[in-house]
Amino acid sequence: MLFKLAWRNVWRNKRRSLIVIGSVIVGMIAVILSDGLSNGMLRQMLDNQISSNILHIQIHKKGFNDNKIIKNYIEDSDRVEAAVNNTRGIKAYTKRVITFGLLSSANSSAGVFIYGIQPETEKEVSVINSYIKEGNFLGTGKRDIAIGQKLAEKLDVGLGDKVVAMANTPSGSIGSDMFRVAGIFQTASSDYDKVIIYVPIETAQSMLELNDKSNEFAMMLNDYKNVASVKEELSAKLGSEYEVLSYQDLLPMLIFQMDLYRESMWILNLIIGLALIFGIINTMLMSVFERIQEIGVLMAAGMKSYQIYFMFIFEALIIGIIGTLLGIAAGLLVHLPLSFTGIDFSLFSEALESFGVGAVIYPVLSIENLISVLIIIPMIAVAGALYPAYKAVKLEPVYAINYV
Amino acid sequence: MEILRAENLVKIYQDNGVPVHAVRGINLSIKKGDYIVIAGPSGSGKTTLLNLLGALDRPTNGKVYFQNEDITTKSKSELSKFRLNNLGFIFQAYNLIPVLTALENIEFSMMLKGIPEKEREEKALALMEELGIKELAHKRPNEMSGGQQQRVAVVRAIVNNPAIVLADEPTANLDSKTAQHLLELMQRMNKEKNITFVFSSHDKQVIEQAERLLILKDGMIVNEE
Ligand SMILES: Nc1ncnc2c1ncn2[C@@H]1O[C@H](COP(=O)(O)OP(=O)(O)OP(=O)(O)O)[C@@H](O)[C@H]1O
Ligand SMILES: [Mg+2]
Repeated sequence: MLFKLAWRNVWRNKRRSLIVIGSVIVGMIAVILSDGLSNGMLRQMLDNQISSNILHIQIHKKGFNDNKIIKNYIEDSDRVEAAVNNTRGIKAYTKRVITFGLLSSANSSAGVFIYGIQPETEKEVSVINSYIKEGNFLGTGKRDIAIGQKLAEKLDVGLGDKVVAMANTPSGSIGSDMFRVAGIFQTASSDYDKVIIYVPIETAQSMLELNDKSNEFAMMLNDYKNVASVKEELSAKLGSEYEVLSYQDLLPMLIFQMDLYRESMWILNLIIGLALIFGIINTMLMSVFERIQEIGVLMAAGMKSYQIYFMFIFEALIIGIIGTLLGIAAGLLVHLPLSFTGIDFSLFSEALESFGVGAVIYPVLSIENLISVLIIIPMIAVAGALYPAYKAVKLEPVYAINYV
Repeated sequence: MEILRAENLVKIYQDNGVPVHAVRGINLSIKKGDYIVIAGPSGSGKTTLLNLLGALDRPTNGKVYFQNEDITTKSKSELSKFRLNNLGFIFQAYNLIPVLTALENIEFSMMLKGIPEKEREEKALALMEELGIKELAHKRPNEMSGGQQQRVAVVRAIVNNPAIVLADEPTANLDSKTAQHLLELMQRMNKEKNITFVFSSHDKQVIEQAERLLILKDGMIVNEE
């Protein structure tokens, strides 16, 4: 009955209730969109980094990640390979030779990270080949090289042009080799396109006098959620000579940034929430002041203070729940098409590319966010009713009944 | 049998710092089955007295005893329970809850008492039928005339079998024919069910039918017939 009373009270002033519900809906759409966008952006940043290069887990000789020098190569490849092959949940892996060096064209030169890769297995783990804009990704040619768009511009080279790579060997001498540009790629990150180059692993090994050694085993898992357990298992198998690193270990800045960004989203949500609270306080106060006489009659009839209190709380709760449900529906209606088409931010694409996002952002809604607004918005509504309900309960019956 | 007793009741309002003596030293004993009318000019303290008797307001001085129990010292929540169990109110206007139908309004105080839904409905409908207002059951207050609303208010006031029904000028907004109808209804309830009524009124019609008439002036009972 209390609920019935509250429900009918909500609808006795339809326009006012609909306005508050409308404001809740608008707030919800704003929360869902901004959440989806920021989430999508962060997800894309991370996904791009993982899928193009970092992958889920990397294995190195201990110390390599902090000091990427060629001397830190993996001495016992067979042992690492056996450990990887004997661990469950790994979808595919590849070997890489990685070192810092110099790439020169006829006109210019640039410091680069030389990646010696196994083109066939690299394709199974990373998507770098899909970023090729001109030519092909490394094929069978021993002197093929794939470089980024930005680097090609800087060195002023095109497909088929000659470039020379140079780097230290483990013994300290300088190894160098000549390559021909076979492919030019463009990833979502302009920084990446400036400093990473790909050559066949055998050519890199002979240039760097590594024989068949490599610096890195990089792998994708069937399910990224198992990263921690797979990492632990590999570490245990390989012992302290090696470092087994997850993408979280490898991208600390990005992970930190994501956390920071999420926190800052809360501030926006808080502001929206506060606006809603004041809207609800205002409406509920009006509804209390309009019904003072009626409250007096309820008191005279023997209704207890807490019952009157809850009647008003229920009213706000009804408004909050209806607003939240409709708001989620409306938010999804806006969100879902955009999550397929993406939102084109070409205008800001340079800034986004330097973040490694790409010009088109696909909003991503996390279920946790959805559930938390589902709970929080009705709670906000209740919070907005606390003071007005208190005002109602504090009325003296005589004053209320004779109030005109 | 005495059910309600006022002893030396005093109510002084503060009107912008000026004390207003609305009720000054009233002694009154109300017995089961009484049909009392409190009459007097406007401002004589009728409403104030009824509010004090019904524990809607607290006296500045003096005591109200309900079945020999002092109700002036009870807390707010004890008082709402006391009203729920022992009193029925009828006001001059605005008695009904606008979002509830007549039937629901009548059921309302039974609901507060925790009476099960089915029993509530049966009892409310039976009483409405008895008093000839059953056809109003599913109407909301704004769909009823003032007289119909007041009759529903009477039913609501008596449905919990209160010890006393307090009515503050219940006929003031009604034409004399409708008022007569309402008065007959209450007299019938008084005779048939032995429900105690205390009215305030300056309506001649009401005063003429009083069993016990108290004339109030300047907050004091100046005459009793
Ligand atoms: N809340 C209040 N504050 C100050 N003075 C009040 C208050 N309520 C009533 N009074 C004063 O107390 C006196 C008695 O008022 P009361 O309403 O009891 O009279 P009444 O007999 O019911 O009058 P009426 O016939 O007009 O309803 C009046 O002088 C009135 O002005
Ligand atoms: Mg009065």
